[in-house]
Amino acid sequence: MNSGIGLIVWIIAYPFVSFSLGVLLGGYGRKLTARIQRRVGPSWIQPFFDVVKLMSKKTNVSHGYMHDVAMMMLVGGTLLTMYFVPVPGFHYFSQFGDYIVIMYILLVPPLGMALGVGQTANPNGSIGIARALQMLAGYEVTFVLTFIGFAMKNGTTSMYELMMIQQSGGVATWGLVTNPLLGVAALFCLQGMMNEKPFEVVIAPHEIATGPMTEMGGKYLGMMFIQHLINLVVELTIYMNLFLGGATNWFEYVAKLFALFTLVMSVNAVYGRFRTDSALRFFWKLPLPMAALGVILIMINGI
Amino acid sequence: MAEKELTQRTAWDKVLANLRKRSLWMLHYCTGCGAVELPPTMTSRFDMERFGIMPMVTPRQADILLITGYLSVKTLKRVILIYEQMVAPKYVVGFGSCTINGGMYWNSYTTIKALDRYLPVEMYLAGCMPRPEAIISGFNSLIDKIGKGEANSWKDYYENYEFYKKNQDHVFGDIETHHDVPADGRYFGILEAKR
Amino acid sequence: MYTQALLALPLVGFVVTIVLQGTARRSPAILKTWALLAFVAMAAVATLAFPEIGDTYTGPMVFGSSLSIGLTDLSWWFVMMIAGITVLTSFFTLGALRDTGTYPMYYGWLFLKVFGMLGLVMSRDLLTFFIMWEIMSWATYFVMQQGKEEGREAALGYLVYAIVAGMVLLGGVLFIHQSAGSFEFAVITAYMAKAEFGILLASVLLVLVPFLIEAAVYPAHGWLPSAYASSETSMTAYLSSISTRMGLFGLILFVFSVFGLKAIDRIGISAHLNLRTILLVLAALTAVLPTYTALFQHDAKRLLTWHSIGQGGYMLLGLATASTLGTAGGLMHIFNYMTYVALIIFSIAAVEYRTGTTNLNKLGGLIVKQPVAFLGMLFGIIGLAGIPPMNGFVSKWFIYRSLILGGYPFIALAAFIATVGTIMSVYKLIHNTFLGQLPERYNDVKEVGLLMQLPIWILMGVVFTTGVFPGLILQWIAKIQVGMGIVPIAWTLGGVAREAGDLNMMVVTAVFMATFAVGAIIFFIGGKRRIVSQYDNYAAGHFLNKDVPYNFNYNFYSAFDHIFEKLYHDAPVQTAIRNLGRFVRMVADYVRRFFTGQINTYAAYYVAAVIIALAILKEIP
Repeated sequence: MNSGIGLIVWIIAYPFVSFSLGVLLGGYGRKLTARIQRRVGPSWIQPFFDVVKLMSKKTNVSHGYMHDVAMMMLVGGTLLTMYFVPVPGFHYFSQFGDYIVIMYILLVPPLGMALGVGQTANPNGSIGIARALQMLAGYEVTFVLTFIGFAMKNGTTSMYELMMIQQSGGVATWGLVTNPLLGVAALFCLQGMMNEKPFEVVIAPHEIATGPMTEMGGKYLGMMFIQHLINLVVELTIYMNLFLGGATNWFEYVAKLFALFTLVMSVNAVYGRFRTDSALRFFWKLPLPMAALGVILIMINGI
Repeated sequence: MAEKELTQRTAWDKVLANLRKRSLWMLHYCTGCGAVELPPTMTSRFDMERFGIMPMVTPRQADILLITGYLSVKTLKRVILIYEQMVAPKYVVGFGSCTINGGMYWNSYTTIKALDRYLPVEMYLAGCMPRPEAIISGFNSLIDKIGKGEANSWKDYYENYEFYKKNQDHVFGDIETHHDVPADGRYFGILEAKR
Repeated sequence: MYTQALLALPLVGFVVTIVLQGTARRSPAILKTWALLAFVAMAAVATLAFPEIGDTYTGPMVFGSSLSIGLTDLSWWFVMMIAGITVLTSFFTLGALRDTGTYPMYYGWLFLKVFGMLGLVMSRDLLTFFIMWEIMSWATYFVMQQGKEEGREAALGYLVYAIVAGMVLLGGVLFIHQSAGSFEFAVITAYMAKAEFGILLASVLLVLVPFLIEAAVYPAHGWLPSAYASSETSMTAYLSSISTRMGLFGLILFVFSVFGLKAIDRIGISAHLNLRTILLVLAALTAVLPTYTALFQHDAKRLLTWHSIGQGGYMLLGLATASTLGTAGGLMHIFNYMTYVALIIFSIAAVEYRTGTTNLNKLGGLIVKQPVAFLGMLFGIIGLAGIPPMNGFVSKWFIYRSLILGGYPFIALAAFIATVGTIMSVYKLIHNTFLGQLPERYNDVKEVGLLMQLPIWILMGVVFTTGVFPGLILQWIAKIQVGMGIVPIAWTLGGVAREAGDLNMMVVTAVFMATFAVGAIIFFIGGKRRIVSQYDNYAAGHFLNKDVPYNFNYNFYSAFDHIFEKLYHDAPVQTAIRNLGRFVRMVADYVRRFFTGQINTYAAYYVAAVIIALAILKEIP
């Protein structure tokens, strides 16, 4: 799938594959939460119904051109990241951008959203964005440190090569096994990256009226949902590629995706929400020193 | 009545309506005592989410405006503002007898008696107050109506805006909601569709 | 030929500007046009001087050695940057500077400063370097003096730093001359290669410290924010974009060419613990601390001047690794930062031109009124935050990769922490200026004229083009690296060749454009949309109008504020700098009182001095 016709077909098909996986994951997550709360829960493809409903709204409210462009940037940026993250059988674009590139293009959708939300002129939205940006100093910094350590150990910053190195010796060479401190620290960060409880300070429906989504209705919210669903897949895949050895085939890929998401959603279902500064303090007290220790161990072993 | 024209739908509309009815987000305006029936409806006991109905926070996101209880003149202003901020198609559901005829506040000087004089109500849930079973059953019939393409009361607000505006003005004079409803109706082609 | 003309031109400009000064108040257009024409001519001469790279021209003899100038790859690159940004700034001032009368000698000192900077980068011996350094420092002081009233005190603070730097540099120049016996760069290089360790250490420190002060590297960064922020806004852009980098130029010249990397690396214990390690740590601190100070600024200009310090840290980070990737990143970041910071400050100047303020708590919602300025700032902040596809990303990519693979994980982490801080503060900048609610008093604000827009459009083009095609810059950097004695980078038009890493900005940008188009398609599949009034907004049922302030911009990052309250609210460094300025003024005030101008006071001093001298002499056996 990395050359010729197969590549072109895959490039065109991949967004749909990713979106479908996202729908299944999203539905699964809601179903799982419902079961934990002893409810029946919605349909397995409930996110699909939501997206269709939102996209087919008759009247849509915009606050200006930046608001519109922001939505395109949001979906575009997420699809961009999606192409650069290698999945089984498709790693064509990873030769044009390593994880440092991915780390930065992951910031394109939030930037787009931030600009759009800014133009909606709603303080709830601005507060949500301010919180989201502050949270970066918590989880993103820690996650990047785990990546730095892992990349330094293996002498490459390319995500595809890191994945290949881990696949060389089965489970024993998985990042989570060889560098458990980094792997576990990154797991905390994953919870923050996916904006799930206890780090769900950005949306916080009961405090700031869903923050960035406050003024989003109709197709605007629909596009945010599409982005969210694809983003689920992308973020889980990033963690998987860095610490769970990626996947060699699609069956393994989907299995790992759902297993990882089960963990994230289970934590989400039983926790309350931290305050922003508490969440930051948590990241600086537990996962960050943990990752730092992991990196120091790598340095000692290296020397 | 335009009922006939509205039910003439293309296949695409039918598919869309059947998908849309599976996802209804609800903004509940809880002023009255009826709100106490909603938590059991949403949580484990009755689990509204299995029909795709979820509570949402802001009017922009919501499809259903659930008015749970009496509306005083002051709160009616807010309800109208919120209703106009919602994105069409949108459905007003009157909850409890207070919204139907004033209920136990019938002779209060400061509450309004019939909600449908001020907003296009899609359906009422009668009772003082309706139990979760009644709410679920009510929502199910709303879902059916949406699926059949019969839930079109929101168009009425654009078409007969003068009627609603007159009644609203009668209660509290002119209010500035920053909405030009007839112009919106023309812009989005809602008024043309009828003709 | 052109090399001498290049240096002579600003000096001629300086003299002519003094002559033309009388016309400034009556018809400022004469002075503005003259300045623009002179700078354009300078840029043209600089381009023509390209074939003269490598030649050296000698001037008059001083202290037994002749002053010499000449162009190298490195200095031509700097000359082009100086020329380019000077032309853009003078073009911008055509519209932006309302009344040159209020800024006496704005252009005069600018000419002198350009003369000093050009001389500095073109100097081919130590003495010329020092002379030009002093001219540049003093010109910078005078340039800063042109600003607002509160800028005078800040400029005094700068002067103290500059004098200290100048004195140390003078000591260094004399010391090197004493030991090496010449001012010639080549002689010094040969001498330092086998000099005694003590002499090497002393000369390196004496030369590096002034550079670090001029480059505003932590902890000698304190002079910069107040001095730059209280200058005239177009001058803030000029100072932030290129002036601070002169210290870095000196550092590159001396570390890599004059002393040589081998000599520098002799100072230290091991390969991982030497002078460069100290530089790396200083650079990391410079990148992190000022960036997080920027978060809490309420003034757009002041916020950006803190970034001028912080981004300087990135450049030093790259250079201090002394690797192919690192130096490429550091050198490229100098250019990139110059372009996007000028762009951002020009946009702020456009806003200030119409609203009269740069206070972030008072602005808001101007996107509908000044879309071009918004677009300029958007391009600029994407570059500053280092997000693809703008050029700031490419240089940061180089720096990260060199740090990670060079085995400096915690320095790399510091760089990323600084990036997060940058993203936060630039969002605050653009949000509080252009987004959010538009205050009623700015309803009549219009876009600025075409004269001011043009530099913004040009810089937007540069920021984007060099981001998508970094090869345009990298080809020069590869040449410079050869001159620095470093393996040149294997560049391609879109990034780097496969053996150096995975980066191709052309592909990244192309994919982004395609996915953005997909986003647009999805957007237009959805129904029609209507743009509504900013007062038609969710406020939990509250009716909004112009009398209801409904905006969030004060205390934007409250959680950070909550955590770091103590650190920021006392702002020890800033207070110290302000106090330094006051202290200088106080001392000067006391000194002044001795000179009363009356002959009997001086007689009394004389008598007192004689008595004290006699008393001391008596004590000595």
